[in-house]
Amino acid sequence: MTAHAHSDHHSHGALQMGHHHVSSSQQFLSVLVALLVLTGITVGASRIDFGSANMLIAMAIACIKASLVIAFFMHVKWDTAINKIVFLSSFLFLALLFLFTLVDLTTRRWDSYVNTIRTPVDHGWVQPAPKPDAHH
Amino acid sequence: MSHDGHHSVVIPAPGPEFVPHTVAHHFDTPVQEFQAAKLGFWLFLATEILLFGGLFAAYFYYHETYAETFRVGGQQLDWQLGAVNTTVLLLSSWTMAMGVRSAQTSQKGKTLLFLGLTVLGALIFLGIKYVEYSAKNQHGLIVFSHLFDGYDQANKQLPWFQDYGGVMKDVPHGHLFFAIYLTMTAIHGLHVVIGAGLIIWVMKGAAKGRFHAGYFLPVDLVGLYWHLVDLIWIFLFPLLYLVP
Amino acid sequence: MTTNIPAIDQHAAPTGGSTNYLNNTSGFWSWASTLDHKRIGLMYLVGTTLAFLAGGLFALLVRVHLWEPDGMLFDNPTYNQVFTLHGAFMVFLFVIPAIPGSLGNMVLPLMLGAKDVALPRLNLLSFYLWLTGAVLATLAIILGGFDTGWTFYAPYSLYTQKAVVTIGLAVFVLGFSSIFTGLNFIVTVHKLRAPGLTWFRMPLFVWALYATSILQVLATPVLGITVLLVAFERLYQVGIFDPRLGGDPVLFEHFFWFYSHPAVYIMVLPAFGIISELVSVHSRKPLFGYKLIAFSSLAIAVISFLVWGHHMFTSGQSTFAMFAFSFLTFFVAIPTAIKEFSWVATIWKGSIALNAPMLYTLAFLIIFAIGGLTGVILGSLSVNIHMHDTYFVVAHFHYVMMGSIALAFFAGLHHWWPKMFGVMYDETIAKIACGIIFVGFNATFLPQFIMGSRGMPRRYATYVPDFQVFHQASTVGAVILGVGIALMVYCFVVSLFQGKKAMVNQWGGVTLDWLTPTPPPLENFHEAPVVTTEVYDYSTLDLSTTRTPIA
Repeated sequence: MTAHAHSDHHSHGALQMGHHHVSSSQQFLSVLVALLVLTGITVGASRIDFGSANMLIAMAIACIKASLVIAFFMHVKWDTAINKIVFLSSFLFLALLFLFTLVDLTTRRWDSYVNTIRTPVDHGWVQPAPKPDAHH
Repeated sequence: MSHDGHHSVVIPAPGPEFVPHTVAHHFDTPVQEFQAAKLGFWLFLATEILLFGGLFAAYFYYHETYAETFRVGGQQLDWQLGAVNTTVLLLSSWTMAMGVRSAQTSQKGKTLLFLGLTVLGALIFLGIKYVEYSAKNQHGLIVFSHLFDGYDQANKQLPWFQDYGGVMKDVPHGHLFFAIYLTMTAIHGLHVVIGAGLIIWVMKGAAKGRFHAGYFLPVDLVGLYWHLVDLIWIFLFPLLYLVP
Repeated sequence: MTTNIPAIDQHAAPTGGSTNYLNNTSGFWSWASTLDHKRIGLMYLVGTTLAFLAGGLFALLVRVHLWEPDGMLFDNPTYNQVFTLHGAFMVFLFVIPAIPGSLGNMVLPLMLGAKDVALPRLNLLSFYLWLTGAVLATLAIILGGFDTGWTFYAPYSLYTQKAVVTIGLAVFVLGFSSIFTGLNFIVTVHKLRAPGLTWFRMPLFVWALYATSILQVLATPVLGITVLLVAFERLYQVGIFDPRLGGDPVLFEHFFWFYSHPAVYIMVLPAFGIISELVSVHSRKPLFGYKLIAFSSLAIAVISFLVWGHHMFTSGQSTFAMFAFSFLTFFVAIPTAIKEFSWVATIWKGSIALNAPMLYTLAFLIIFAIGGLTGVILGSLSVNIHMHDTYFVVAHFHYVMMGSIALAFFAGLHHWWPKMFGVMYDETIAKIACGIIFVGFNATFLPQFIMGSRGMPRRYATYVPDFQVFHQASTVGAVILGVGIALMVYCFVVSLFQGKKAMVNQWGGVTLDWLTPTPPPLENFHEAPVVTTEVYDYSTLDLSTTRTPIA
């Protein structure tokens, strides 16, 4: 599956940038084919009406494609733990931005309840204030 | 700079067509230098994700608010050209990955070949983008000559959004889709231009034999940048051209 | 913390050992092109101090104007510009970059036993980006000023005929300066710690800067895209923030506060770090709850991303979102209180030295308690609706930004000044200045709490006469504060020319920054340090070896 390109000069390994994983050409080619096929599936899926699920499907496929690029082309699969954490945490914090802005937007329709709030006067707990013109 | 008598660490060149690499004086080992630069670059890529993230958040916010505007707006884009451009970027991402691999395996000629192909991909992408923008200009959906004319308060209209064909007349705030389309693709396009520039820069270094199995850091980092450009487009394509 | 360098390394220095980072090369270009973190730190110190003095001048103008209910100095539009300049200069050019840029740059690699930050060229670029931002901000004043408040709220920022694009560009550039500093510090902490310096042997200033850096890297890009979008709105009417075009200004506030709430902690966490160092050194006691303080910095960093909506309780957010944001806000109080209690517990039964840095530290502890607790009050949804955009809010965040952060910055300056320059300031004058600043600060902002709770709105150029006594008290306080700061600056400047030699280890610190020669040589350590003991272990240091003047 993978070739360790510098296995032939391990002797001065300490003077290199460290032991690096080198992916094989076949693996890169397989990833490319998978990405192109998934692009086709995205286009195909968008032709069919799944209702609101279309967005989920499109984003799910995009996420799979992104994962392939990140894991193989960007080599994250073989990268150090800290580099993985750094890059993936950016998506986590981005999710927070999406989450709270969209929660705000989509829950504003709940606020129609404001119109149906019963005041202490409605409850009969207090007497309504006299109207200003009642003094005349 | 090595005032204190410490001699700098040097990574030897694997062959006559390559040059050795001298590790920066404040690092003790090549591994430390490599890992520091790489961690720094990943952090930078994280900032890029969050920067684009703001645009994506705006997209989702208005997709939720004006779903019909986005649906009709998306139909005005040429999805076939979008799909071709997606393919071009995916291919260029592959050539970039192969370019990095060639540097890692000390194959100077192949490194230059694959990096050159990646730049070619960037140019094709930008060319197709230009064709698309021209079409939008022609249909009055983004009139570039009036882009900076400001809001016409008297007529309550945007000079850059003429919509000659009236395709957006039945949906609210039709310009919003094209404004978001333009902003997202223009900032992405700027990254394509910067990425291509960076690749040409590492090609100069590669031609001089700077990058080999012992030292390929700049090729690796520019590669990561290029893949990020691809990564963003992977999301832009379905969201803009195939509006769900 | 003992190391293989003895505390008297000063005398072990090679002959001609007086060569240090200040005098190893000279000339303008040797500074302008330096990659030495210490020199870059000094350039930040000069730059941010000038920005602070400019911002302070604008503040004094605001306070003098408000002496009379109808205003004394400006017409209303000019007043709007002056308070905007005060806010923008203080926030973007001083409070955010000051501590990481100057003291952080100076001390962080020393504390880690490193020769420099991991990416020295990027560090210099950060400084020049800061300088570019400062030039652009000044240019914006010349190009007509800006009157939006430092928050650039849409839609006003989209319509006003002022230099909003220029100041937006300044903020974008300053944002990247901040990002690159944070990025650099994270890499440095991960990759350049001395052998034996494990994560839980790192001084707490390093922990605090690390947590700050995470925020700088993850939050600032969103500010970048937000100010870009405001600029685009002005240039070609994107429409997403513009209600005339179907946009929603509340989205602007979401974007802005997604950055600017974490930014509050970008500002305050380094201050916490300084205080953590100082309470320990000047009480000669290991920190109480070291790990709790370290983790609370990270906890604050994460929680700060979940609470931004508490700035928007009157903006038209959904009630559910307001409820969620208010609820989450209270969680910030937990890690913050952990820190405050740990500091007090550290001082308790310590061998307290009441020197200038410690006096500033004690002032911080009092002021931050008030600033923090009023934050809890404002985090409550119902109270906030009442207090929103009043002077109560102004007083609250000045107790944090000025009273806590700036005072911690001053504390740190007094603490590391002898390390940085090898000279000692006049301690008597420094202590008097600290007293004047403390009195002046409280006199300025306590009255603002009172008038705020009685309904005085912020950012108004005029007010009803009932508030005059509070405004005048506040203005008198501001003048006292100004005098105190002027005295402090005078004290520092004089010390550079007439100060007596600093001690080898002025305060008897045991972190690595105190175990190099004073001032440090070009690459910080003559011999690479190896850490063998726990952090803040004062038993390892014989104080008698530290109290000799430097060679």
